Amino acid sequence: MTNERYLIASYFVCAALSIALGILVCLYLRRPFASVADAASGKRLSWILKRLLPWGLVFPALLGFVSVSYQSCTRTTYAEIVASRGYLVEKNQEQISSVLLSILVAVLFWDVVVLLILRYAQNGRNGSQLRQMDD
Amino acid sequence: MSLELSAFLTLLVLSVAVPTILFLLLRSSLTDLLRHTLRLQAGVAFYLRSFLLVLFLSALSAAIGTSFDLKSGSPFMEYVWKGGEGMASTLEKTLWFVAIYLVLITILVATLKVKDDK
Repeated sequence: MTNERYLIASYFVCAALSIALGILVCLYLRRPFASVADAASGKRLSWILKRLLPWGLVFPALLGFVSVSYQSCTRTTYAEIVASRGYLVEKNQEQISSVLLSILVAVLFWDVVVLLILRYAQNGRNGSQLRQMDD
Repeated sequence: MSLELSAFLTLLVLSVAVPTILFLLLRSSLTDLLRHTLRLQAGVAFYLRSFLLVLFLSALSAAIGTSFDLKSGSPFMEYVWKGGEGMASTLEKTLWFVAIYLVLITILVATLKVKDDK
């Protein structure tokens, strides 16, 4: 396989991988998040939050992927970039690393959102719902 | 198997071992703390799952980002040094993100438990 073909194939594989990772993390967190949103917030807010969770994890994953640039100080032209297979592999590793980091930041963001939901619920509006859940 | 691939796989295994050990060590205490603080069982599950994700994503992000692109015929110790660099980066990132998670959990306990105690 030539370096150019490797670049094209690896780029799209990494893009697919970033979306798949975002979806996997979303599936992993979806159920407990939905339960918290249902129990601790109003009907409309819960609906919005549940719709936003997948986008709030897949978009950061894609953002992490596209934020890595193939151009660097030493390699600015396409020919220079494609010249070394090692450089292309390094960039792929950087892309995956960036995807994981972006998802991680997104997870922490959703942690804060859940904290705010629970705080909002405890402040009284839906306290009765929580007590029912507890029973 | 080439030396580069072996070194990368070794780093990957070590990077998975660190969060696994940390999670196993902290899981039961964290579960107890969350159960004591949150009334919702789903909240406990959410924060436990996110803790697992924080540990693994931070460690793997650092490990995968480490490049073993050395000159062909490089001595064995150069790979070991590069692996050590990768491991240092893994531990540093894991430490930072666990610290952030800890701050978050502290805020959670401080804001929710105080009312509960009243």
